[in-house]
Amino acid sequence: MNTTIWSLAGIGAVALVTFLLGYVGSRKANTTPDFLVARRSVPATRNAAAISGEYLSAASFLGVAGLVLKDGIDALWYPIGFTAGYLALLLFVAAPLRRSGAYTLPDFAEARLGSTNLRHFCTFFVVCIGVLYLVPQLQSAGLTLTTITGLPSWIGALAVTVIVVVNVLGGGMRAITLVQAFQYWGKLFAIAAPTFVLFVVFLASPSQGTQPIDDNGVMRFPKSEVVEIKESVRLRVTEPMTLRAEGTVDGAPANGSVYWREGRYEIGPNTKLSFTAGSPVPVVDGAPPNNDSWMRPQVGGIWNLFETYSLIFATFLGTMGLPHVLVRFYTNPDGKAARRTALHVLYLLGLFYLFPTVLGVLSRLYLPRLLVNGKTDAAVLMLPEAMVPNLGGQILGAIIAAGAFAAFLSTSSGLVVSVAGVVSTDIMPGKVRDFRWATVFTGMVAIGLALLLPRSDASLTVAMSFALAASTFCPLLVLGIWWRGLTWVGAVCGMIIGGGAVITAYALSVVSSYTGHWAPGVFTQPALITVPIAFLTMIVVSKATRRRRPQDVNQILLRLHAPDPLGFIKDRDIARFGTAEEKARLAESKPRGSTRSL
Amino acid sequence: MSTAEHTPTDSAPDAQKWVDVQNSPDFAQLKHRLRSFVFPVSGLFLAWYLIYVLLADYAHGFMSTKVVGNINVGLILGLLQFVSTFVITTLYVRHANKNLDPLAEKLRHELEGDAS
Repeated sequence: MNTTIWSLAGIGAVALVTFLLGYVGSRKANTTPDFLVARRSVPATRNAAAISGEYLSAASFLGVAGLVLKDGIDALWYPIGFTAGYLALLLFVAAPLRRSGAYTLPDFAEARLGSTNLRHFCTFFVVCIGVLYLVPQLQSAGLTLTTITGLPSWIGALAVTVIVVVNVLGGGMRAITLVQAFQYWGKLFAIAAPTFVLFVVFLASPSQGTQPIDDNGVMRFPKSEVVEIKESVRLRVTEPMTLRAEGTVDGAPANGSVYWREGRYEIGPNTKLSFTAGSPVPVVDGAPPNNDSWMRPQVGGIWNLFETYSLIFATFLGTMGLPHVLVRFYTNPDGKAARRTALHVLYLLGLFYLFPTVLGVLSRLYLPRLLVNGKTDAAVLMLPEAMVPNLGGQILGAIIAAGAFAAFLSTSSGLVVSVAGVVSTDIMPGKVRDFRWATVFTGMVAIGLALLLPRSDASLTVAMSFALAASTFCPLLVLGIWWRGLTWVGAVCGMIIGGGAVITAYALSVVSSYTGHWAPGVFTQPALITVPIAFLTMIVVSKATRRRRPQDVNQILLRLHAPDPLGFIKDRDIARFGTAEEKARLAESKPRGSTRSL
Repeated sequence: MSTAEHTPTDSAPDAQKWVDVQNSPDFAQLKHRLRSFVFPVSGLFLAWYLIYVLLADYAHGFMSTKVVGNINVGLILGLLQFVSTFVITTLYVRHANKNLDPLAEKLRHELEGDAS
């Protein structure tokens, strides 16, 4: 009970500070550019902290540790990929994109290829990626609240949605930049401090409370333990064992002592399994069953290889297509600052990911029961109490819970801002009031989907939106910036085929998760196939429709790659959103600024 | 939304200026410097990733060679993935600041004159 109070207090504090920062920031934010790109006057270091703050989502805060607990070394590809994506972003798109002067991805697409049709497709995919990314945030918020308080999970999801929407309504992007930068340091503290303490606890008493791992590397429960299973899971048993089960096993009701030989067992919802001390730990199907395979990378053969490559592809190429990350690069004053920002982001992310990895390894020693019920995402939340069962552990737990909430809040805010920004400027007339309606609308769609879709590991769902970004915007950006032959028809075809393939794969894997897990791994990790397809389609169709190449393509590419302050649609934006002062300056410098004709 | 706000104000001399810059050796040089860094480096980087996974999959013996205590070759190579990401990023930023920016700056002055 005490834990609950401490954690709720921590979460409340995070929410309050988020509100206050948003309020302070919002008193100055009134015009549209204020809302969308904070007038491009954010310093690189703060912007980098803000990008990292926004980027470190539920998948990073909870998911990475959970996957390390479950999958071992293979899970390290997630943090490596999440970080390396920024390298690709930096090398291929950061500076040219910033020079383009576009506010949003659709802006960029339209300016580069001169087609409003393409613009609409881009808008559609920005909304898809944004919402797909929002869903695991909200679901994880639900999981966190359930873990702490036992309340139903929709309350947590709803709370996050409401806080984010209200905050975004209050101040838009400028407020958010400040909030995000604060969030990064908050999150870093919230994960680093407990990691240090718990690691010291571990060093001081390495064997206390941990399960002995026998010579064969089989994990065993250190003491008798009752595991409650809320959602159905499939368990894999590698050594015969006896246990008590109350509930449903393999579709039949079970009540009492059962004997399990090697094999797979389907456990129904609301089942209680009681293990005796020393009995081996059965693990969810698909996870490495013993410590040897957990420690060794790649034991699953060719399919595992495929999935890992696919994941690398998705994260490496998908980061550049994430709307909430890109929109932040527009807030840099110039291309040079955009590069500096990307570099800082890499350092900040690399620093952060050290900690969830350590926590994941520790939780393997202290929380084997999470391997049984499959809720490995909760590992970080439950570890402090499992290791330090007193007030100290409760306070650490509260710090982590607050940090997790900070993660949901910051990522969700960034996503809502960028999705609402695109919706309001593309579908509505782009006034401040439209931005507000778009915000409310985005929040409602996201919460609806979060409640409807089945919950899986946050990192997996997030990887799916990376795959979608990698199969749509990555080819558009890379080819658009580096290849003069791209046409809007090619871009549209590539995005439809690449994006369509990912969405289909995702839909099929959701269906399969309801109807007996028949879909192979390709469906949850499709990037290795869909990204090359998207690139190929764009190139082939562009070649076939050569006549549609924009006439001023050389000029556009020149502006993308050469001098910094010549942004080619900056002036349009000033004409649309700018203050009177800016418009006057624009009028003075007309001959230089708006040479682009359509 | 369309880009109807664009006023086609291309005055001929101005458009000519763009073409000049486009054809100037400086711009060709800039493009060359950028491409000759970005593409090989990203190719190398991806290859390094993919080779690591391949090794992990098919060279168990090599990867589990113990170096110090429990630390094996696989673990060290894995950590190097992180390190190499940082190294490449730092190299690129340095390259851009030293070799790309001055040239871009020069082009910009040619385009805009000293008026701005």
